[in-house]
Amino acid sequence: MTTTSTTPPQTSVAASARGLTRTYGAADRAVHALRGVDLDLPAGRFTAIMGPSGSGKSTLMHCLAGLDPATSGAVTVAGRELAGLDDTALTLFRREHIGFVFQAFNLLPMLTAGQNILLPLELAGREVDRALYDQVVSVLGLTTRLGHLPSELSGGQQQRVAIARALVTRPAIVFADEPTGNLDSEASAEVLGHLRRSVRELGMTVVMVTHELDAAAYADDVVVIHDGAITAHLVEPSADVLVAALRGRNR
Amino acid sequence: MRTALLASLRHHTRRYVASGLAVVIGVAFIVVTGILTGATREGLTADVGAPVAGVDTVATVDDPQAAQRLLDEAAARDVPALGLGYAMEPVARDGVQLAASADIGEASLTPSLQWQELEEGRFPATAGEALADVNAAKRTDVGVGDVLRVGTGAAAREVEVVGMVDSPAALGASLYVPWQVLSGFDGTLWIDAVAWGGSADLAREIAPAAELEPATDWVAERQAEIARGVDVIAIMALIFVVIALVVAVLVIANTFAILFAQRQRDFALLRCVGVTRRQLRRSVRVEALLLGIVASLTGVAGGIALGFGAVALVRHWFADMGTASLPPVWLAAGFTVGVLVTVAAAWMPTRSVTRVAPLAALRPDTGVDVRSAAGRGRLTLAALALVGGVTLLVLAVLGHQVPLMLAGGTAAFIGVLLFGPVLVPALIRLVGRLPGAGPVRRLATGNAVRNPRRTATTAASLLIGVTLTTAVLTGLASSRTALDVEMDASYPLDATVTAATDPLETGLADRATALDGVDDAVTLEGTFARAADVRLPLVGVGTRPAVVRGPDDLVPRDGQLLLPIALVEELPKHLADQVYDDATLTLRVAGRPITLDTVVDDGWGRSGLVSAATLARIDPDPQPVALWVRAADGADPEDLQGDLAALAGASGAALEGGYGNRSWVDLQVDVLTGAVVSLLGIAIAISLVGIGNTLGLSVLERGRENALLRALGLTRRQLRRAMAVEGLLLAGVASLLGAALGLAFARVGVEVMVQPAVEHVVFAVPVVQVAAVVGVAALAGLAACVLPARRAARVAPAAGLALE
Ligand SMILES: Nc1ncnc2c1ncn2[C@@H]1O[C@H](COP(=O)(O)OP(=O)(O)O)[C@@H](O)[C@H]1O
Ligand SMILES: [Mg+2]
Repeated sequence: MTTTSTTPPQTSVAASARGLTRTYGAADRAVHALRGVDLDLPAGRFTAIMGPSGSGKSTLMHCLAGLDPATSGAVTVAGRELAGLDDTALTLFRREHIGFVFQAFNLLPMLTAGQNILLPLELAGREVDRALYDQVVSVLGLTTRLGHLPSELSGGQQQRVAIARALVTRPAIVFADEPTGNLDSEASAEVLGHLRRSVRELGMTVVMVTHELDAAAYADDVVVIHDGAITAHLVEPSADVLVAALRGRNR
Repeated sequence: MRTALLASLRHHTRRYVASGLAVVIGVAFIVVTGILTGATREGLTADVGAPVAGVDTVATVDDPQAAQRLLDEAAARDVPALGLGYAMEPVARDGVQLAASADIGEASLTPSLQWQELEEGRFPATAGEALADVNAAKRTDVGVGDVLRVGTGAAAREVEVVGMVDSPAALGASLYVPWQVLSGFDGTLWIDAVAWGGSADLAREIAPAAELEPATDWVAERQAEIARGVDVIAIMALIFVVIALVVAVLVIANTFAILFAQRQRDFALLRCVGVTRRQLRRSVRVEALLLGIVASLTGVAGGIALGFGAVALVRHWFADMGTASLPPVWLAAGFTVGVLVTVAAAWMPTRSVTRVAPLAALRPDTGVDVRSAAGRGRLTLAALALVGGVTLLVLAVLGHQVPLMLAGGTAAFIGVLLFGPVLVPALIRLVGRLPGAGPVRRLATGNAVRNPRRTATTAASLLIGVTLTTAVLTGLASSRTALDVEMDASYPLDATVTAATDPLETGLADRATALDGVDDAVTLEGTFARAADVRLPLVGVGTRPAVVRGPDDLVPRDGQLLLPIALVEELPKHLADQVYDDATLTLRVAGRPITLDTVVDDGWGRSGLVSAATLARIDPDPQPVALWVRAADGADPEDLQGDLAALAGASGAALEGGYGNRSWVDLQVDVLTGAVVSLLGIAIAISLVGIGNTLGLSVLERGRENALLRALGLTRRQLRRAMAVEGLLLAGVASLLGAALGLAFARVGVEVMVQPAVEHVVFAVPVVQVAAVVGVAALAGLAACVLPARRAARVAPAAGLALE
């Protein structure tokens, strides 16, 4: 593992993994998607997880988010150890502390943008923090779009609605899995810009899975993963350092 | 194309299971009907020929007198002959009445005509001996060696049971006595055919009007007659088969519509790679055909198993049921209908498949969001059907026209079904918005109304069953109320014990009231009068006794005598004429003559009624003469009869009353209600399969969405509950709407059909029954969601989001 030279500037950790493995399938045809991952994700920063397709990025994210149980190892989010929580407890934990943005199928088609944003609060039966809601909506530039159905929004707008929904609960950490995977470069830039603004202006913690170098350039830190193992955790890397880290394996 | 077809069939097999099930149930229904019909017909016709097996000729007569002459002459000349018919007479043992009116047939003394199947004992050898039917004797415990008293008054005769027989349904009687005894019951004897062992000339000589035919012809005619009766029942059952199949068509059509919607991208992709419209259409139709064939074969097999099981079960209680056999016509019909129904139901949805543009495959997949709504044409049609239907119904009520009612009802119902995509979602929204809604109910409501067309079709299938069931239950309840009023008027007393020669014992009323089946009983004082040599009990009635039902108080005016027709018939001719001509009757009480105004009426047993004042005038020292009884609700008529007979004891008192008839009518209505409800239950079962199916398929469609919701914090329980609430909303709204429609149709039906037949029609809503139908349907809808809900909840949040 190509370790970083500098420690992250912030000491508080939003999520961490220790000896995390995830194996799919039975013994004879087992796929080792994660092989012993140790990782600390600092709070208040925008971290990108990068790696080639099939390297385990999504699996890592799902395990960190409590969407997929770890085969072994420990995951801690917002100071809470996830192992040992049953499905209901995990669900409740997720809706309190974690936000999500997925590549596609982010929005419920029968709800308007505004309703989609408020959905997690409604599911949790929580009060809407109006000030935060207005702030999030305006940071993401959605003020005039709230009454529209997803089918009436562009791909970029849909992803922005998804981001707003992830932020409006003020989660400890937001996970985004290839949020720009379905977008053209212009819309990607717009979405990534908004993600970075949410970290800067709203003080959120965002972890984004991506395989695009351009996308990673918006992040503060980059975690590089190859074949289910982390090969680098770079703090504010330059493009060259990043490319080198990504190539690291196939020199 | 074949590869794609087979692959798709393999891939979607599980999704077809539910619509297959609808076909299976419908086809099995047909096959079971066929097997039951066959077995019933075989059982009822099997031994029709037995009574005439010993002769070559059967003489059919219109006039029972002629039949009696034939049998009398045959007995006198020693010609073998057997009367085919029966008398209806009371039967008693040791002074206790066993049956108020048993059917009594002839037991021949000629060995060649002793056709019954002997189970125990022997055939009668002399006029004083009799055969008893084992099934009829079960209740009364009659056995070989018992001496039975048959008939009333002077005509009564005693016979000894010497053999127990098992007789077939078509010609069976409870008791068989030799002609010498049977001919004495000419008041109730009805014989319309005679098995004739003598020459044709002799028969013509005795009864010129008799029609002689070979015994085999007569048997064939009887069998055909019975078969026609059974066929009528089979046709009635087929009406319910048709209803079940209509529901099945809705379920299948809905399934195909949903499945094809979900496979739009596959179809578009196929079109992209060069599959023509026609090829695509053919391929999906072949899918439907294969489904129809497999489901129909399963239905036939299941129907055979069920039919044989049902026949075996029925034979357990009903000895005259025949054996089950495979009816080829019914099997073929069931199979064909099943296949046709499937293909027809899939026809419309398959048309929409071919409208898929190849481009659809290239659009980014944003999750399946199949929207369907009602078109304008459909709504216009709905309005027309509804307005036309209601107009016809109004005309039907005004003119008491049943065909108009059926046409109007069907049109109005179709109108409601066509309005479904607007009406049902609106109702679901309304119910969903009832106070106290949380996120789960809001989610469920949103999901339930998302595809108005799909929701409407699903609801329609349940609506049919619930509407019909409610209408039938309400119609029958109203008829029953009307019948009750009529029965109250015709049978003012449930049971009466009337002294014949000696007064009744004292304290009888208390002992009667203590009986299980008795609600209330009173003893009435009276005296014995003589009309010529007929001994006539007179009962004094002061005020209306509490046990009397109906509008009539049974309180005569002073100086008036109410006399039942049966008693008038017993009087000598000159006295009967006095009653009919002058409306008076001269009696002797304690030797003194007295003439009373006489009104012929009925309903209180074998006695005359006078007012209490009149009684005091003619006999200052009255004695208990009659016991009048009001039966408890639901009392068993035979038990009541037996208990009262035991009370009346050996005094020779006569037992009468309307309770037997009343409960027989009640039983008919109950049996009819039960039969109709269970036959409609099959249609309801199919529609519940449909609800489960729609929800199950929606779950597949909403996999990603549910995964997203789970990721966002919807717990597994909440998801399961949302599914359950969705099913409950759907089934609940459909059954409430169905109950409302059913009540409306029943209202019209009562006006059209019951009103003209009965005077006092009350529109009676069987609240408990209707509530039970709605409740059961709604709960069953809930149960139908259990599997889909579990499947939905099993989706792991991450797995559902993985890209395909
Ligand atoms: N549900 C699953 N069952 C079996 N194998 C899986 C499953 N999910 C992921 N994998 C496997 O785990 C590895 C990592 O997958 P993933 O985390 O999706 O990679 P990435 O997101 O980096 O493309 C891949 O080899 C993939 O095939
Ligand atoms: Mg991935």
